[in-house]
Amino acid sequence: MSNIQQFQYDNRITRAFGTASFVWGLVGMLVGIIIALQLIYPSLNLGPWLTFGRLRPLHTNAVIFAFVGNGLFMGIYYSLQRLLKARMWNDTLSWVHFWGWQVVILCAAYTLPMGLTTSSEYAELIWPIDILITLVWVVFGINMFGTILTRRENHLYVAIWFYIATWVTVAVLHIVRSFELPVTFTQSYPLFAGVQDALTQWWYGHNAVAFFLTTPYLGMMYYFLPKAANRPVYSYKLSIIHFWALIFIYIWAGPHHLLYSSMPDWVQSLGTVFSIMLIAPSWGGMLNGLLTLRGAWDRVRQDPVLKFMVVAVTAYGMATFEGPMLSIKSFNAISHFTDWTIAHVHVGALGWNGFLTFGVLYWLWPRMYRTDLYSVKLANTHFWIGTLGIVVYAIPLYFAGWTQALMWKEFTPEGTLAWGNFLDTVTQIIPMYAMRAVGGTMFFIGTILGVYNLYKTAQKGNFLANEEAQAPARERHLAAADSEHWHRWLERRPMQMLLWSTVLIAIGGIVQIIPMVFIESQVPKISTVKPYTPLELTGRDLYIKEGCVGCHSQQIRPFRSETERYGEYSKSGEYIYDRPFLWGSKRTGPDLMREGGKYPDSWHYNHMLDPTTMSPGSIMPAYPHMLEDALDLSDLPAKITALRKLGTPYPRDFEKYAITNAQEQAKKIAANLTSQGIKDQNMENKEIVAIIAYLQRLGTDIKVQPASEK
Amino acid sequence: MKSIKYLIALLLLLITAEGYSQTAPAAAPATSAQDLPSIMSWLLGIASGVLFIVAMIYIIKVNQFLYKRVIALEAQKSGMLLPSDAVPVVAQPVGDDFWTRMRKKYWEDPVPIEKEADIMLQHAHDGIYELDNRLPPWWINMFFITIVWAVGYMYYYHWGGNGLSQKEEYQEEVEMAKKQIAIALAGKANSVDESNVTIVSESSLVAEGELIYKNSCAACHGQLGEGGVGPNFTDDYWIHGGGIKDLFKTIKYGVPEKGMISWQAQLKPGDMQNVASYILSLRGTNPPNQKEAQGPLWTGDAAPDTSAVKTPGK
Repeated sequence: MSNIQQFQYDNRITRAFGTASFVWGLVGMLVGIIIALQLIYPSLNLGPWLTFGRLRPLHTNAVIFAFVGNGLFMGIYYSLQRLLKARMWNDTLSWVHFWGWQVVILCAAYTLPMGLTTSSEYAELIWPIDILITLVWVVFGINMFGTILTRRENHLYVAIWFYIATWVTVAVLHIVRSFELPVTFTQSYPLFAGVQDALTQWWYGHNAVAFFLTTPYLGMMYYFLPKAANRPVYSYKLSIIHFWALIFIYIWAGPHHLLYSSMPDWVQSLGTVFSIMLIAPSWGGMLNGLLTLRGAWDRVRQDPVLKFMVVAVTAYGMATFEGPMLSIKSFNAISHFTDWTIAHVHVGALGWNGFLTFGVLYWLWPRMYRTDLYSVKLANTHFWIGTLGIVVYAIPLYFAGWTQALMWKEFTPEGTLAWGNFLDTVTQIIPMYAMRAVGGTMFFIGTILGVYNLYKTAQKGNFLANEEAQAPARERHLAAADSEHWHRWLERRPMQMLLWSTVLIAIGGIVQIIPMVFIESQVPKISTVKPYTPLELTGRDLYIKEGCVGCHSQQIRPFRSETERYGEYSKSGEYIYDRPFLWGSKRTGPDLMREGGKYPDSWHYNHMLDPTTMSPGSIMPAYPHMLEDALDLSDLPAKITALRKLGTPYPRDFEKYAITNAQEQAKKIAANLTSQGIKDQNMENKEIVAIIAYLQRLGTDIKVQPASEK
Repeated sequence: MKSIKYLIALLLLLITAEGYSQTAPAAAPATSAQDLPSIMSWLLGIASGVLFIVAMIYIIKVNQFLYKRVIALEAQKSGMLLPSDAVPVVAQPVGDDFWTRMRKKYWEDPVPIEKEADIMLQHAHDGIYELDNRLPPWWINMFFITIVWAVGYMYYYHWGGNGLSQKEEYQEEVEMAKKQIAIALAGKANSVDESNVTIVSESSLVAEGELIYKNSCAACHGQLGEGGVGPNFTDDYWIHGGGIKDLFKTIKYGVPEKGMISWQAQLKPGDMQNVASYILSLRGTNPPNQKEAQGPLWTGDAAPDTSAVKTPGK
């Protein structure tokens, strides 16, 4: 070994991502507490910018992309260098990646409260930010593959397989979900409408969980857990089987978010069966983590790092068992649209992502600062308050979900809904919302303790910016050695690894989405379903802007309890002009699929001004600004043109009359309001008439008699 | 220790069974939640089956142990040497018994920590070694079972079985409900409708009506019936008629174009009768802040006899 090379690991970039992770983590969790409190005290919905509808996506984006995002980059930048025996390929790219990602986060923190959103869950950011994300992701990819190709280590360790799959899948998901036609600098319409948009969304949304929150963290677990435990990984075979099975199967499971919806039955069934088949591959990761601790359990009692990791891996195991169970249709019929789902994702987010991030931070900081942790006792306190926080968060919400679902479904013997007033099913669970807020606050307090502990550790330590290392140059022996495992062959070829990962993750998406897009018969047309009028379209965009979809679904499932409450169940043909689709995934308020005609215009007017006047006890935010803000119709021609390009059959030159058309409809609604006793002036020029126009249109098309039958 | 574990499991099972039997009658009318009880009973059945098998295995093992022990004691007493005692312990090949072999084959088979050097891969990654343990048999078996289940599921619902589509499921649910409602309504007073409804005067029923009014009507018609978004109930002017039958009809079907919603999905016929009776009792109470009169003066038949109806709680 004459050609030993000297080089240095870059610790600065790891520290930067780690710091960003806990700073954004605090912000994201704080927003979470605020929206949890808004559900108990609706008066906390301040002004148009800080209402629940706008803050909820801020919370999800902050914890997913800012807290966990920076966390996974921290883990990857630290472990990748050491596993490859190489410094990151290019320091400049590392820092472009870091600052680019922070700019994306800052843009999100500004645009989401402003109401600039696409409304697609976890893909809310508007198209210019989408492009920025793509660029940053490409920079990250170049830097990662540059490092892999200039490595000194022949074989890629299992953690890196996960990193590669993460990179390519997130790239594919993000690009496909961002197929959209810009209308203005801040608005766009998605390429797909209705059912196809829904399918694409949950293919994306589910796999954002899979490949942003799960695979990179599994990679981190494979590096940091054996390191912290100082034990060999339990089974190499298990790593291989569970890795390939996981990435292949995960991508198919998206439709389990759309069970009992207007999605064709076969797509739903694929979602169910692939979710069930996902149990074992997911548990493979948990097993390899927990069994690696064989012989180290005595240290789990003392070492806070291992404690955090054990709870993280266990939470991962629980969430990945619960997920498939919720994908069984009869369970889903109960859990879907309720707080059960919220509890489920928080076991994953707080337990798996949160605790693994903390474990890694507690392990990394003392090493990078060449000292001991400031206080083990404080770290243990953090652990216990955090664990209890998860329990106090999740259990009341499970209970709330059950309670609400059973109330929604209960009939009297005479055949009327036992809880005909939706609000009764909301006020019933508010005490559980309060407990959830307490649990979330406990977790947040724990995080503050953690940040303080890390800060003090940094203060007493001495940061090692460039860590000296040495290793022999890579000998390029690609031929198979005798008796080596077949998989070794692949581990020497990162590009083959990338190729096969791409092939495997592409199959599921292609099988589900392509037929939906190209086979007309999958979406039976309904002749009376017509495109939105310009004013309704404007109202719909306001509905999107305010984030109404965060609490109101537009998808009536084929259950008697839902058709009794809301009206005829939803048909896929009703959504063909819905860009984006607004089915929603949570009913904090009632479904609005057939809201049209249910209440008079004046009811909506009063309800928007103050929901409690029409529904005493309602927890919906008030929207007085809609009664005051001027109705902006100037983008209508661009919107109509864009939608026509995407396939909405607006007549030729309609964009020229769109504004006049909208003004006429606005006048009618304003006149209607006046006749119903609303005394305000100039209502036809306010946003309120647009939102009323849209709400009154909802779900009414199928009630129209087709022209031939008249 | 083991038996305690089983006992606890049994106890838990009993508790769940208890809870189940208690919730079952309450859930019965909720036909749409039907899936739940049937799944619970399946799970319960499977769990008890598994428990039974485990218990049998345990009993057999205890029996075996006791049998061996008795033989050994007998032998000791008689001073006889058992064949096993004759052979030195170390020389005996440690053959796994049947249960151990089954466990290793189908459940778990880790190489003991002391021997893990034998299966450690040569190469370390940044100091991390990997063992080459067998895939946990229970894990890989579970994987196979889920795959078989998936194929079966697709067969049952799509490729040939007779699983219902969600549309068919819905139709079945509605049919069932129709029958149940017919049975429940047979000969019940709740079959009042707009053709036969009368004013109720029992104060308990009117009080029920008042409760419904405060919860559901007061938002639009005022706490005291003085009117708001909706019309005033205390004057003599009625837009859609002021008789009990007119009022019942308005409540039941609503007047959607004017903003009155239909309540028949939310209120039972008896409830609508009570609340209509309560509303008619408000006439002439002359509360403050009354809304201006709307609709024609009502002089129709069923002008409420205010003397007969005592407004409770006033």
